[in-house]
Amino acid sequence: MHNILLIARREYFERVRTKGFLLATVLIPLVMGTLIFGSMMLMATSKTQSHVAIVTSNQSFGTEMKQQLEGGQQAQMKVDLFAPSDAIRTQLNAQLHAKDSTLAGFLWVTPGTTPEARPDVAYSARSAGDIATANALQDALRAVLMRERLTAHGLTTGDIDQLTAPVKIDTSASGDSGAAFLAAYMLFFLMYMVIMLYGMNTARSIIDEKTSRIFEVLLATIQPEQLLAGKILGVGAVGLTQISVWMLAAFAFAGSGLSPALASHGHPLITLSQIGFFILYFLFGFLIYSSIAAALGAMTNSEQELQQLNMFLVIPLVFCMVMIFPIMRAPDSTLARVASLIPFCSPLLMNFRISLTHVPAWEIWLSIGLMTATIAAILSFSARVYRVGILMYGKKPTLPEIVRWMRYS
Amino acid sequence: MPIVQLDQIRKQYGTKVAVEGLSLNIEPGSMFGLLGPNGSGKTSTIRMMIGMTVPDSGGVSLFGQPFSRQHLARVGFLPEERGLYKKMKVLDQLVFLGRLHGLDAATAKSRSVAWCERLQIADTLQKKTEELSKGMQQKIQFIAALLHDPDLIIMDEPFSGLDPVNAQLLMDVLIDQRTQGKAILFSTHRMDQVERFCDSIALLSRGKLLLSGSMREIKSMYPRNRVEMIFTGDESFLDHPSVESYRLYEDGAELKLHEGKESRCVLRHALEHGTDIVRFEVMEPTLEEIFIEHVKASFGDADNGGAVDA
Repeated sequence: MHNILLIARREYFERVRTKGFLLATVLIPLVMGTLIFGSMMLMATSKTQSHVAIVTSNQSFGTEMKQQLEGGQQAQMKVDLFAPSDAIRTQLNAQLHAKDSTLAGFLWVTPGTTPEARPDVAYSARSAGDIATANALQDALRAVLMRERLTAHGLTTGDIDQLTAPVKIDTSASGDSGAAFLAAYMLFFLMYMVIMLYGMNTARSIIDEKTSRIFEVLLATIQPEQLLAGKILGVGAVGLTQISVWMLAAFAFAGSGLSPALASHGHPLITLSQIGFFILYFLFGFLIYSSIAAALGAMTNSEQELQQLNMFLVIPLVFCMVMIFPIMRAPDSTLARVASLIPFCSPLLMNFRISLTHVPAWEIWLSIGLMTATIAAILSFSARVYRVGILMYGKKPTLPEIVRWMRYS
Repeated sequence: MPIVQLDQIRKQYGTKVAVEGLSLNIEPGSMFGLLGPNGSGKTSTIRMMIGMTVPDSGGVSLFGQPFSRQHLARVGFLPEERGLYKKMKVLDQLVFLGRLHGLDAATAKSRSVAWCERLQIADTLQKKTEELSKGMQQKIQFIAALLHDPDLIIMDEPFSGLDPVNAQLLMDVLIDQRTQGKAILFSTHRMDQVERFCDSIALLSRGKLLLSGSMREIKSMYPRNRVEMIFTGDESFLDHPSVESYRLYEDGAELKLHEGKESRCVLRHALEHGTDIVRFEVMEPTLEEIFIEHVKASFGDADNGGAVDA
């Protein structure tokens, strides 16, 4: 244990003391934050602002469309109204193709043959790719037509507003599956990022040591198992340090801005025990995946070879992502229970189930036991591959060779 | 009590036999040369000695007890292929390696400083390894092997790439360690470098022991039939019946005498010829010659004498 900690300490400080670590810790959340905020700002302000023309013989319909499009929730368009005529059609067509015109398209509304029938609507656009404008027009049309028909049936404006208002369901009594889903998603991406960044870092540092041949000195006193375990812990601690910095920053930031919004929701988004499980499973997930990375590092001699193998890290993660959907629908099904006990999936799926439903304690303990056993098994496998691999240095092992190595001492 | 005792060890990788039935003892206070061409099993032997691999059969004992990892704290190892953390400062690096060998941080630090001063590289302590020359890195690795004051020092090709001055500096340190009763194992194919220092040797070829014993014994087994002369004047004395062959140089000659012939006769003969003799020396066979002779014999002459890269 003493040696493992020494190795871990060295790996940790070597990485944390670099400028790269400092930069990544500060810059990644900054860039991500800017991107997220930027896109949110854009979403908020990106009401369609195109300039369109509506050609209709029905004056009131035209005015209502104009109101909807110019002052609506999603759209702030500029709308010109015209009465239909051949001259107008030619004029608008010409405008559509003129370079100095701002006209994005025109809507040609032909009233239905009977008062009940819907009108025929045709839209000519400058660019076929301008989906936002077309969608805004479609939404406005639906709303206006509905209002028209409801008014025709004798409803008042107040009735109509009440009818079309969105419905909210209060789930505070049973816990919020939306929040659970969000937490699982967050965990998945955190995990994915940390594994890709630091799992691969573990593998890389093993390869580095092989190329620098320092392992010969190290293995003269310590066992490969200790070396690999030390590396996983050391590099992992770096990842966890970085994540904690980010999380703390995020909480501090969110705490100031979001807490009133959360409080008004009536119940906390994530409970304390959920946070506990989140951390527990995150740690296990990290250990499992970085021990796979260590095995990959032990098997390969160069970064290029490592790149070819990193699918072994990604595939289980993707599998978990796919399983999230059936589990969300039926968190107590046999499928869900089995999948969440697979050690490579437990970190994500068991945690997900815990946030959705009441998971029996024995299943949680079983998953923890299985994960621990898996980590130990992968470590001893990688240590074996590592030791035999460096003795036969310089050659990429084939699968039968690796199997044969297992029998060497 | 021998410090290292190998008893009929054998190691096979796949179909290749790396070491076959090797036995040897290394005594405290001695320098032991493990000699042989590349690929003869020296490194495999060392790896089994320090538990990096386990022999397929046979026994390894360290310090009079069957091998156990606890003993490794008493072993210092300088591997053939040098390796240090490139980005790490020299002092940190030495302290780290010292602590891995069981030293506490403070001792490791003070010893590192003392050793670096002794090897004249104290100014590198705060530098990163990658900023140093090859020779300096080698000295640092050398220090790392000695930092924990091991009783068994294993040096795999210790002087490769070192200039003569520094090689001598390190050799002095090792001789000093021997005086303190430490056992030192050299593994090398450069026999001329260790010839003067080794008390005992083992010659390996293709994983098998060709020859082992104390240097004195081995050398006495070989005839002293080579003479090196420096002279001026007449050289016709070289056609003496005792001389089997000779090679003539600018200022002298190297002679090989027929077995059993006295060198004295040749000297007398030369003096009678009126040759002016500056030096007349009867040479011991060098290890290299003994080695080449043995390896050739073990390979079979036609096979490949050229594979000997000593």
